[in-house]
Amino acid sequence: MESKDVLVVGSGISGVASALELANAGVSVYLIEKEAVIGGHSASFCCKATDICSKCSACVVSDKIKEAVIHPQITLLTNSTIKGLGGELGNFHVEIIQQPRYVDEERCIACGLCTEICPTDPKAIYPPFAEATPFSYILDKGRCLRFKGERCDLCRGSCPTKAIGFELKSKERELNVGAIIVATGFDVFDAREKGSLGYGRYPNVLTGLDLEQIFTREGYLRLPTNGKEPRNIAFIQCVGSRDEGHGYCSQVCCKYAMKLAGLIKYQNPDTQVAIFYIDLQTTGKGFAQFYEKYKESVRFVRGVPVEILQTISGELEVRFEDISQGKVCRDNFDLVVLSVGISPGKNSWDLARILGINLADDGFFDKKDSLSCNETNVDGIFLAGTCQGPKDIPDSIAHGIAAASKAMQMLAKSASRRRGN
Amino acid sequence: MNGCIVAFCCEHSAYPAADLAGKLRLHYPENIRVIRVPCAGRVDVIHILKALEKGAAAVLVLGCEDGACHHITGNTRAKERVKYCNMLLKEVQIDGRPVAMFNLSPNAPHKFVSAVNEITKIIKESGR
Amino acid sequence: MEPKIGVFLCNCGGAINNIDFDAAVKKVAKFPGVTCVNLSSDLCLEKGREKMISCIRGENIERVVVAACSPEFQEHIFRKVLEKAGLNDHLLSMANIREQCSWTHDGDVTEKAVELVKMAVNRVRLLQPMEKKELPVNREVLVVGGGFSASNTVLQLSRVGLRTTLLEKEAVLGAGTEELESFYGFDTGSMISAVEVDKNIEVLTSAQMTEVGGKIGDFSVRIRQEGGEILRKYGAIVLATGHQTELALDSEPQLRAEDEAISGLNIVSQEQFCCMLGNSGLETEPKTIGFMFDFSDENSRFTTLATLNNALAAKKKWGSEIYVFCKNVKVDSEGMEKLYREARDCGVVFLKSEAPPRITAENGRVKIEAKDVFLGEDVILACDVLVAEELYLPAEGAENLSSLLSIRRDSKGFFQDENVHLYPVGSEKKGIFFIGGCRGDLDLGRVLTDISSVVMKVHELLSSGKILVELEKVKADPQKCVACLTCIRVCPHGAIQLVRVDGSKEVAEISDLACDACGICAAICPAKAIKFQGYRDEEILAQIEAIQEL
Repeated sequence: MESKDVLVVGSGISGVASALELANAGVSVYLIEKEAVIGGHSASFCCKATDICSKCSACVVSDKIKEAVIHPQITLLTNSTIKGLGGELGNFHVEIIQQPRYVDEERCIACGLCTEICPTDPKAIYPPFAEATPFSYILDKGRCLRFKGERCDLCRGSCPTKAIGFELKSKERELNVGAIIVATGFDVFDAREKGSLGYGRYPNVLTGLDLEQIFTREGYLRLPTNGKEPRNIAFIQCVGSRDEGHGYCSQVCCKYAMKLAGLIKYQNPDTQVAIFYIDLQTTGKGFAQFYEKYKESVRFVRGVPVEILQTISGELEVRFEDISQGKVCRDNFDLVVLSVGISPGKNSWDLARILGINLADDGFFDKKDSLSCNETNVDGIFLAGTCQGPKDIPDSIAHGIAAASKAMQMLAKSASRRRGN
Repeated sequence: MNGCIVAFCCEHSAYPAADLAGKLRLHYPENIRVIRVPCAGRVDVIHILKALEKGAAAVLVLGCEDGACHHITGNTRAKERVKYCNMLLKEVQIDGRPVAMFNLSPNAPHKFVSAVNEITKIIKESGR
Repeated sequence: MEPKIGVFLCNCGGAINNIDFDAAVKKVAKFPGVTCVNLSSDLCLEKGREKMISCIRGENIERVVVAACSPEFQEHIFRKVLEKAGLNDHLLSMANIREQCSWTHDGDVTEKAVELVKMAVNRVRLLQPMEKKELPVNREVLVVGGGFSASNTVLQLSRVGLRTTLLEKEAVLGAGTEELESFYGFDTGSMISAVEVDKNIEVLTSAQMTEVGGKIGDFSVRIRQEGGEILRKYGAIVLATGHQTELALDSEPQLRAEDEAISGLNIVSQEQFCCMLGNSGLETEPKTIGFMFDFSDENSRFTTLATLNNALAAKKKWGSEIYVFCKNVKVDSEGMEKLYREARDCGVVFLKSEAPPRITAENGRVKIEAKDVFLGEDVILACDVLVAEELYLPAEGAENLSSLLSIRRDSKGFFQDENVHLYPVGSEKKGIFFIGGCRGDLDLGRVLTDISSVVMKVHELLSSGKILVELEKVKADPQKCVACLTCIRVCPHGAIQLVRVDGSKEVAEISDLACDACGICAAICPAKAIKFQGYRDEEILAQIEAIQEL
């Protein structure tokens, strides 16, 4: 049956932006998300303001998520993925499978009694990250004793609203929609692939994303090993971008590294910060002034390190070629932050196969042609956000809005064609 | 109202930050009363002075970060009014009753908590 | 007659364990005006809300206070409950006894919770009902500009059924698109023809705005053309006036026209170089070409794009030796890294230096000297043509347009304040948008996104021909207003204008369509004439009154 409804796959900032635009235009939107909480990666980014806003747009994300959650035209389906697709523009049939959440998000009031009483370590039932929406607790089947065959009922018994149910099964449903917007986002480059940089081996080697989450949770930065303030920090750019496996710039790393460096210097002006780069991407609205401000207080080194070793005293020795000096150097730091790049989502291949859309050479979903912005090779299926290629938050929002625009335009065109105009 | 801090919280920044502090179970002193406003720029000098007249130990105005006000100039105006209030209080020789402006984002719960803690410390030190 | 106030407390399924609700209920029942106090354990669930509705109806409650979790997520739900119960949905006030009370303090917080309820009760007593109404808006859109962004915008707006006027100050459309055409291979000619034949698009060339008034849904624009002036009305205005480039003379002090030696040299802009490439009648093909960018202007996405495209084209066409001098290659746009690699694979040499190169003349050729960071040495190049560094600037007239429309620009003069809440295409005034090069250093991907984004935004606003507003949410009392113009000057959204009432008196009128309910005007009015429903002085002061007055 012909439908004017739209399915948005993925509830990161781009999907949320698409859904909101359509919803405000009166369209009924299904917003599906494979995780238990919505918001994607950017929902856990921290505010990087110093004495002025640093335009990182992390706060815009939380605003938009809130709007989407309360919007009457948006139906939110978490723990859901696409199993199959049939039909065409104006009349798609999408099979959705919704994994049981075990904790009813309508009933969970986030009181925390279940976590307190849970006997496992790490806890099998726990709260999502702070800004998570819905802010309902999550049950991890892999950790839960009950799913391992044991008879444990402690959390269910302690729940004051009876929100926990173990007998729930996965649900299947079919959605009839006119258009689909794919906004499945990205996966962070796994820094362990660059083994010589020590991520996963040395606790004081972190990624940019780790740093964002630390600032959001704690509000300040302390060394993972001893809880002390780091005095000497190195940021390494282009980890997983502009290299052999990734023929693109991730667009966000130079900016997030500099803004995080700015935040660190603001909190502790005595902390030394060095940024190792290939080409510094000091572009975008207001960014050049930001760079001017930190040019003197942050040490910018052209030359990306390839090896990090931990010394006996626990410091991190970074081995790099300082291009301006023309020689190989070794410098010690307390903390190293790897500015990891944006990689295509691991599930992209599966989704591409189900939907019949193409992947480009770099692994991101492919646009129809160079002059299109959101269209894919399938009429009625559009791309929004980083699943199509690296973007920062404002560009992801714009891309999501554009996808909504294209979806509406195409639905209108197809409807008038059916009417025989 | 002796000992209470009246905090005017902008609905775009400080109010959600305070909520987030709650979700994270961050603790801060109990003697704070939040009044929700649509923008820090809505807060007028009369509101601040009335709170002090009623016996508030301190008045806080919390708005968006500099350059990120939803209404562009609201936080700047609030800052000016807070400065003006402090000037008035100095002229009539009322001190130890801080009036302060803080800027924060909705996803910065720690800044909310440290603002409250900072003012509480100042009140204690001035012996009220 | 005091309105009957009903207070509904929720203990979150019994999980809020540091508030003595029985004691709280007793205290709250004593507050003046409170006729009914109800304790629930599940106000956020369907059945809890049903109970609330029957209580409101049964007890003839006229105002509602809900003491529970944060209004951030639940306020709109409770407003619907009031509506279902037959009350005006504005007569609600919430007390946040969970996120901002129970969850953040140790020990018993009953006293604070009761005080928060009192603050809400004091406020709700004074709230006034508010009416919603759909106001009609003009569905026509004005798009200023005549290049790639403007033309594609009007074409897409037409597709969604909106009529537009394309306002171009030059005599023809398509100015400034030649470079883009050569880089991306689209056809300007067919784009312009499509615009010209579209029945929904009116094209006005050699035309400029001279005056703009009104607000979203009702902008009045005075347009001057050859032959006279016309007055038009539009629902929204989109600026797509593009950018311009200027040779960065400041970073190359030697590049002065007066310098005899330099003036005769072949120092060209990217656009001129494009023309050279397209000129089949070129006398001599340049054997050595130098490019420069990213020394004076960090906003060099567009120049990186131009350089890479032009360098590759020159390599392919003439096989010249090509050297690019830059500080950083700006690859943070789609496809740029690929293009950068292609250029290097083709033999284009990139020389990176921290300081800008020195340009001098030598034997009629351009001599460039720079210290390459990789070699650590000075590199001296004599070339036949130098494509000099360009500054990326907003198009001429940006300052004038910004004052006509009273909208802000960023620190580099591009449209749109740097405020993150305005992105991607918005301004601080509802109904005015910016797209493309006029708002910054954008690549094609970002420009295309801008175009579709603005079409969506405008469509969302205007397509139904009406916008739902809360009537007189912020209003200047004509009895008290003295027309001092303070609010008009201060309103960040340009929502206030002076109107004549009763045939003689001028007062400030706040547009329900354009107002964004910040209250800055209400705070600044020296006569206290402006009433902001829900946040009037009395409503704020009543909350202060409630503190420690139990």
